Amino acid sequence: MSFQYHEPVSLAEAVDLGARFGADGRFLAGGTDLIIQMRRGKVAPRHVLSLHRVPGLDAIELNGSVRLGALVTHRAIERCASFQGRLRALVEGAEVVGGHQIRNVGTVGGNIVNASPAADVVPVLLALDAAVTCVGADGERTLTLEEFLLEPGRTARRPGELLTAVRFAVPQGRTATAFLKAGRRRAMEISVVCVAARLTLDATGERCVEARIALGAVAPTTWRAREAERLLEGRPLTPEAMREAGRAAAAGCRPIGDVRASARYRRLLVETLVPRALARCRKRVE
Amino acid sequence: MSKVALELCINGERHEVLTEPHRTLLDVLRVDLGLTGTKENCLEAECGVCTVLLDGRAVNSCIVLAVQCRGRQVLTIEGVAENGALHPIQQAFIDHGAVQCGYCIPGMILSAKAFLEERPGATEAEVREMLAGNLCRCTGYQKIADAVVAAGRAVAAGR
Repeated sequence: MSFQYHEPVSLAEAVDLGARFGADGRFLAGGTDLIIQMRRGKVAPRHVLSLHRVPGLDAIELNGSVRLGALVTHRAIERCASFQGRLRALVEGAEVVGGHQIRNVGTVGGNIVNASPAADVVPVLLALDAAVTCVGADGERTLTLEEFLLEPGRTARRPGELLTAVRFAVPQGRTATAFLKAGRRRAMEISVVCVAARLTLDATGERCVEARIALGAVAPTTWRAREAERLLEGRPLTPEAMREAGRAAAAGCRPIGDVRASARYRRLLVETLVPRALARCRKRVE
Repeated sequence: MSKVALELCINGERHEVLTEPHRTLLDVLRVDLGLTGTKENCLEAECGVCTVLLDGRAVNSCIVLAVQCRGRQVLTIEGVAENGALHPIQQAFIDHGAVQCGYCIPGMILSAKAFLEERPGATEAEVREMLAGNLCRCTGYQKIADAVVAAGRAVAAGR
């Protein structure tokens, strides 16, 4: 590791430095991925731009929609009282990341930009139809999170561009969310499969109005099981319908086999965890 | 690569350090300042032996750059005892026989300290969940968990 260190104190300065150094620079947030990748020699930026003195990037703003600044930590998400109701999945995703030392520093922006298909908070954000804001030399642009994530470790972020925030609407009415993670052990574990679900039911509580199912670690990016969602929307939310959605998600995903689990086992987990997450949403609506 | 002059506040004392920007807080503590109570092991933020408190929060000092600590408060195991008196957590580790080889203990104690300041009356289950980021290969964790729970009660009673 050998680089020049910069500590911008405003967003404008951070964006300016980002634009100046382009692909030679890297923004440093919590460091839980970047410092380790640099030590392993996987990345060797000539300029490191620490963001921790840029004001406002660690803010959580709520007013009809939620805006998470890029430097909001997993710990801050866990502790946010406003996320205990319909946004419960966000807390459930954040609280299983690493140990408390990691959650104290690891950020939501870093989690998104790192683009690991096994990220835990990202499926929840995808199930919330989140959008990301990036600022670069050409100004600000907003992309859906889904179009932002391209492949493992790669996003639509341009060289030097800074992801400043992720936003989503606060779910309303008879809506609930849930997040489930399967790993080989309960703590300090990369997901073998993780599932985030968001369900909206009609006034009777029987029929599904809207469904979102997002899966981690079963495709090159965090992945939305659209076919499974279609099977649920507009229909009565029966146990069989939820199982059918699980089978559709298992059939549609593209898992790899690796040291953590075989592809076949990952599909079995999807088939089991999807209906379980849906049932949990349903229970939370009631 | 050019060096950077840093003023660090460690255990309430100011230290002047001249270091390259790539060096971690862990490096500077151990090598430059001789504060070897903070241990080094995995260097990947997995094992927790390098845990220190940065502005009161537990962090893995192996993934924090020393330059990022300018103007912030660092607490290491050397600063936990006050005026020669062990902290109640340290005393509880001794009383419960929670130390075997000892390598993980500084990190354990700092994790426990940050945690108990927020939740002094924590249950054993909460303590075990909190200890997930600190690995111990000797004890099997039972006596460590017992010590932290007991220390939490002592801290709560002392308030």
